[in-house]
Amino acid sequence: MSDNDKIEKKYHCRFCGWTPAENEPDGDWEHCPNCLASVHEADEEGYECGGRLLPVSIWVKPDDSWNIIQRCSLCGELTMTPMSEDDSPIKLLSLASNPLSIPPFPIEKMEEMTAMMGGQGDVGGYYDEQRE
Amino acid sequence: MNRENKRRKYDKGYYKKHPCLDPFTCKICGRLVVPGGAGSDHRNHCPNCLSSVHVDEKPGDRASDCHGIMEPIAVWVRKSGEWAIIHHCRICGKLSSNRIAADDNPMKLMAIVMRPYGSETISRINVRNMTASMETQG
Repeated sequence: MSDNDKIEKKYHCRFCGWTPAENEPDGDWEHCPNCLASVHEADEEGYECGGRLLPVSIWVKPDDSWNIIQRCSLCGELTMTPMSEDDSPIKLLSLASNPLSIPPFPIEKMEEMTAMMGGQGDVGGYYDEQRE
Repeated sequence: MNRENKRRKYDKGYYKKHPCLDPFTCKICGRLVVPGGAGSDHRNHCPNCLSSVHVDEKPGDRASDCHGIMEPIAVWVRKSGEWAIIHHCRICGKLSSNRIAADDNPMKLMAIVMRPYGSETISRINVRNMTASMETQG
C-alpha cells in the first residue's frame, strides 16, 4: 500500500505521460522536463483555464539564463517559466531552431536588405575573427 | 476631417476599429517612423529597433497606464509559418506577441533568433557528452 502511494506521488506529465525513472529523484517542476509543457491553471484575471501551455520560444536573458515562453492553446495567453536543469536539451534546441528553419526573408540577402532599408547592423563580427 | 479628429479624441475604442496613420518618433532609437511600408495598417513596433511602448491591453484599446518600453525578447513561429515577435514590458512584465512587418530590420530579427546559439547554457561540451552517450547506448 505504501509503495502504491509513493508511485502516485511522482510527477506525471498530463500531456506526454513522462514520469521520472524509478531510481531518479522526484522534483517539483513548473513544467514537464520532457515536453516543456504545463497546465494553464488560471489566467491573468484569476479565472480557471485548464488549457495546455505549449512551449513556443526561448528568451535568453542578458545574464545568459534561459526562460521558456509558453502559450496557452485555449486562451492564447503567454507565460514565462525559467528553464530547469532537468529540461531536455534536444527539445530546447529544437525550439530555438524553429524560426531559423523558416526564415521570412532569404538569409543570403539579409545584409543587402538591411542596407536597403537604412537599418543598422552588421554580421561582420564572426567573419572578422576568423580572418585574423 | 475635423469631425474625425474629434472622434479620435473622445471615442474610447477608436483605434480598435481604425488604423493609426500618424508618423511617430521611436522613443528608444529615435528614428522617425512613417505608417507606410509595414505591409499592414496596424504598425506595432519600430521597424529599426523592434521595440514598442506598452499602451494597449487588448489590441487598439489604448487602456494601459504603464507606458513602459516593450523590449523584443524572442521570435516564435505561428501555425501559418509566419514569424511573430514576443515583446516583454520592462516595467510591468507583460508579454505580447506581434506579427513581424514587411520592413522590419532583418538583421535585428535574426540576432534575436540566433541568441540561444551563442549562449553557454547548453554548451558544446554538454552536447558532445550527450551525443557520445546516445551513440553508445544505441
